[in-house]
Amino acid sequence: MRFTKSLLLAAISASVFALLASLPMLATKHPKYGGTLRLELQIAKVSLDPREWKTGSVAAAENARLAALIYDRLVTLDDYGRFQPALATEWFHDASSKNWQFKLRPNVKFSDGSALSAKDIVTALQPVLPPGLQISTTENGITIRGTHPVPDLLEQLASGRYFIFRVQSDGNLLGTGPFLLAESSPPTPAEANPSVLKPAHIKFRANEEAWAGRPFLDSIEVTLGDPALRQILNLQVGRADIIDIPPDLVRKARQDNLRVWSSPPATLLALRFDDAQSGASDPRLREALDLALDRDTMANVLLQRQALPAPALLPHWLSGYAFLFGTPMNLDRAKQIRATLPANVAAGSDPLRLRVDAVGDLMKLLGERVAVNARQANIAIQLVGHTVPSSMGAVPPSPSTGLHLIAWHYDSLSPRTELLNLAHYLHSEVSADALPDTGDPEKLYSEERRLLGERQLLPLLLLPDYVGIAPSVRNWTVSPSGEWRLADVWLDSGEPAASNTETIPSRNPAPGVHP
Amino acid sequence: MSFRNKIFLIFVITVLASVSLVAYGVTHYTQLAFEQQDAQRTETLVAQFRKEIGQRGDMVVQQVENITNSEPTIHMAIDLARPNTDTSIFLHDANGAAQTYNLDLVEFVNSDGVLISSAQYQARVGYKNDWVTASKNWDGTRAFLKREELPDGVALSLTAVRTYSVGDKTLYIIGGRRLDENFLASLVVPNGMRALLYRNLESSFVPSSLTDASGPVAQADQFQPLIEQMQKQSQQQNVLVKTIQWNNDPASAETFHAIPLPGRNGELLGVLLLGSSGKELVLLKRQIFKIAALVALVAIAIGLLLAWWISKRITRPVEELANGARDVASGRWETHIDVQGNDEIGQLAGAFNHMTNTLAAQKEKLVQTERVAAWRELARRLAHELRNPLFPMQITLENLQRARQLGPAQFQEVFAEGTATLKAELANLNSIVGRFSDFSKMPAPQFARVNVNETLRNAVRLFEPQFTAVGKPAITTEFFLTESLPEIDADPDLLYRAFQNLVLNALDAMPAGGSLTLRTTDGVDTVRIEVSDTGKGLTPEECSRLFTPYYTTKHQGTGLGLAIVQSVISDHHGTISVSSEEGRGATFRIDLPKRQQNAAVKPKPAAPTTIESERTAPAATD
Repeated sequence: MRFTKSLLLAAISASVFALLASLPMLATKHPKYGGTLRLELQIAKVSLDPREWKTGSVAAAENARLAALIYDRLVTLDDYGRFQPALATEWFHDASSKNWQFKLRPNVKFSDGSALSAKDIVTALQPVLPPGLQISTTENGITIRGTHPVPDLLEQLASGRYFIFRVQSDGNLLGTGPFLLAESSPPTPAEANPSVLKPAHIKFRANEEAWAGRPFLDSIEVTLGDPALRQILNLQVGRADIIDIPPDLVRKARQDNLRVWSSPPATLLALRFDDAQSGASDPRLREALDLALDRDTMANVLLQRQALPAPALLPHWLSGYAFLFGTPMNLDRAKQIRATLPANVAAGSDPLRLRVDAVGDLMKLLGERVAVNARQANIAIQLVGHTVPSSMGAVPPSPSTGLHLIAWHYDSLSPRTELLNLAHYLHSEVSADALPDTGDPEKLYSEERRLLGERQLLPLLLLPDYVGIAPSVRNWTVSPSGEWRLADVWLDSGEPAASNTETIPSRNPAPGVHP
Repeated sequence: MSFRNKIFLIFVITVLASVSLVAYGVTHYTQLAFEQQDAQRTETLVAQFRKEIGQRGDMVVQQVENITNSEPTIHMAIDLARPNTDTSIFLHDANGAAQTYNLDLVEFVNSDGVLISSAQYQARVGYKNDWVTASKNWDGTRAFLKREELPDGVALSLTAVRTYSVGDKTLYIIGGRRLDENFLASLVVPNGMRALLYRNLESSFVPSSLTDASGPVAQADQFQPLIEQMQKQSQQQNVLVKTIQWNNDPASAETFHAIPLPGRNGELLGVLLLGSSGKELVLLKRQIFKIAALVALVAIAIGLLLAWWISKRITRPVEELANGARDVASGRWETHIDVQGNDEIGQLAGAFNHMTNTLAAQKEKLVQTERVAAWRELARRLAHELRNPLFPMQITLENLQRARQLGPAQFQEVFAEGTATLKAELANLNSIVGRFSDFSKMPAPQFARVNVNETLRNAVRLFEPQFTAVGKPAITTEFFLTESLPEIDADPDLLYRAFQNLVLNALDAMPAGGSLTLRTTDGVDTVRIEVSDTGKGLTPEECSRLFTPYYTTKHQGTGLGLAIVQSVISDHHGTISVSSEEGRGATFRIDLPKRQQNAAVKPKPAAPTTIESERTAPAATD
């Protein structure tokens, strides 16, 4: 009996102890207000003016991440791919999907306290809307009219650069988002070594009057231009809360037990042929090079499985049919086709010049791999100096190069729009009328196949976005378009998380994302 | 060239030759020393390079062995020995090993030859490296030169290979250092030398493959013949030497020793070029030349002064001797030279002084003797001249004494005849005395501007009647007068008289007729007058005594005519000479200065005419 009582007492004590021990953990599951989130990005410069962003640009995606802190869109997508009201509370369209009407949310104010009007919407969207779409104000909202059906207008408006802002007389932009732009300091020369620039800093503070409510965080401090390895170190030692990680360092970050989040494939690495160099326009050369490319090794070895071989222009999560395209590597066939070409085309004396536009060594490594692959098919490729453009996906072709290794960031949730943007980028003749309906993937497939058949763009790899997250960062969520929902994040300054090696599951293409 | 100039020149040439010889000797031996030093330096550098290559190779081997035995490599080898290993996890291992072990090139190759990780060419991962799996036993091998493919081209490396085996699986570890600008920069090259590296990675010469410690070499084309010669030579152990002059300046010349760098299979993979600049040597030679030139200038200046001083010292007694000899020649026999010293010159001067003393004494004696002889001759002449009229006078007086015996008429006749004879002979005596008196009273010349041709013609004109006198053989006259002859400073009367005497002398010399030739020529400072006859001529002895007063070759004559001519010419500071061949006549040459120094010259008078001269000038004297 005494043993039973003692056992009972021990069980009760253990239960009480367990209950007391679990209290802090339970406490961390409740959101906390306050704190400053330290965000470090590799890009050295950002632009918060959506009018300056270039379609497909990787930099534009980075810009959009920060712009989402201070601007809102008309509509958003929830985690399930359903359109949710934002600045527009209701929307309607006619049967042809040419005319759309949006009813605006009332009592929305900009950060300076002025009220949002339909005119602001028109002023913000008109410059960035695709050709053929006209926007105008209505009695309680706006209307968008297209010369052709725009069935994916909501997907477009919920992503990309379709933010609502007001341009002040001094040129500054105001938004209605959860944060305000508090400070911005450009890169400054370091005191010890003036030739080295200290990173630029941007500080956002919470918008107390946000229509969606005050964010949990008091402020967000963004440091730009720090090298990736230093960012990883800062994350390790607690000097940063969120960093972006290049794909080639993801394995290292994971080996270092960092918390790494990865997105679905968001960036396409591809080779674009330019006609500036003689021989580059020969379809046989393009086909030979396409067949010589070893995409699997690039993805699995050089990128250590942190990327996927790209069989098509659009990723599977966006188009739904990418598996229909293959990435056949046939070196013998490539050699045969190369043999049919004149000997001086892409020969050692006059190699095909490949320009690599990239930040970091990853793109250069891929460029070198392309050259090595091409050499196996007796195609000489010479890398020329890689530049650091502000918009990697939209650099105009260099007149002296025949080949261009580009990075294209998918910034639209509409495959139809992405395909049109890509076709526009390639100056290919794709009519918007040819893709009337997002519900007809066959037409999209056939159009994409046609574009691939032209071989003006040879897809190589699909890269996800990788983000390193400190254990103290809670409620990390990302929109289907890849934008970070930092307004929902809160910081846990108390006990550490249960596991700092936790890897947040990759974002699955939500049903709503796929139109 | 004067003796002094000769001595001076010899001295200068001697100094120049000495300085040049010294400068040449210094330059030559300096060059030899430099070349020897250069050869030693090059040899040392070649040896140093080979040693450096060996040491670097050993270091590479050591580092590759360290990588091989390191824990990550062993883990890699163990992992790779397992089936279906994900080799991508080793992608960056080569980079880490290269950084850790300070190697430029590190690669890991799987047992099947597939490249797993590469520090230098990551893009080649996944491809095969068959050359390394061809040999199974790499342990113990030394480092070797290797052609290394890199993303930015082809490079030359010093490579070593080691293996690590797990079971039947072998992991190949390849490590190396690039032979590039950094390698060249690490070589300790003596001042004035430089090391270049040609990477022989293409079949033909590629200028960009030639680098030095600072990068590509300018004017690399200059090396093409040397490199191509190196590429062609079958035995690639020979060191080739070539000198390249970069521009027109000899100081830019650089001598290169080309050392072949063979690969593992003996193929020529690189050429090390050790350049030795000739700049220092050329600059040193220039410096020596400058110093030699400066020394030569100073030496020449000093030499000139010394030569001038020495030649002057040597030649001054000689010049004094020469001047003394000239003085003696001019008649100043009492000339004495003051020369110090007992050397040969002093002895010569003493002998000269002794000679002049002797000559002066002899001259004095001779003068006395000649004076006595002259007096004797004068006495003889006077006696002869006076005896000739005295004898008729004596006979006449005796006749007169005897006529006193005769009748008055006869006496009167004899008396008249006798007195006439006495008068004539007294007149003859008076004439003889007058001529002697005239000679003793030769007047000093009164200079005026005189036309020599005109004076000569007037003098000849006086005797023209005699040239063509009836019953006498004819004498023809020929004039060869220079019409442009300038007027000279002369006494016209004395000159006229001298010409008269010469013409008369010629007339007397041609009793059988002949030809009288008169010639005038213009000299630089003088005019020459020549009077030639075609008479019987003169013997040399007669020529030497011809101008002696009272000497005559004629039966009738006082011997004063030519003496007067010589006296007039001498008073005009001129000279007279005679040349003759016996039987062919004689020629008298007179040289008269055009201008008389320090003499008052009157305005030009009228030339003496025959009538005036007969009235005013003394008659020509035989």
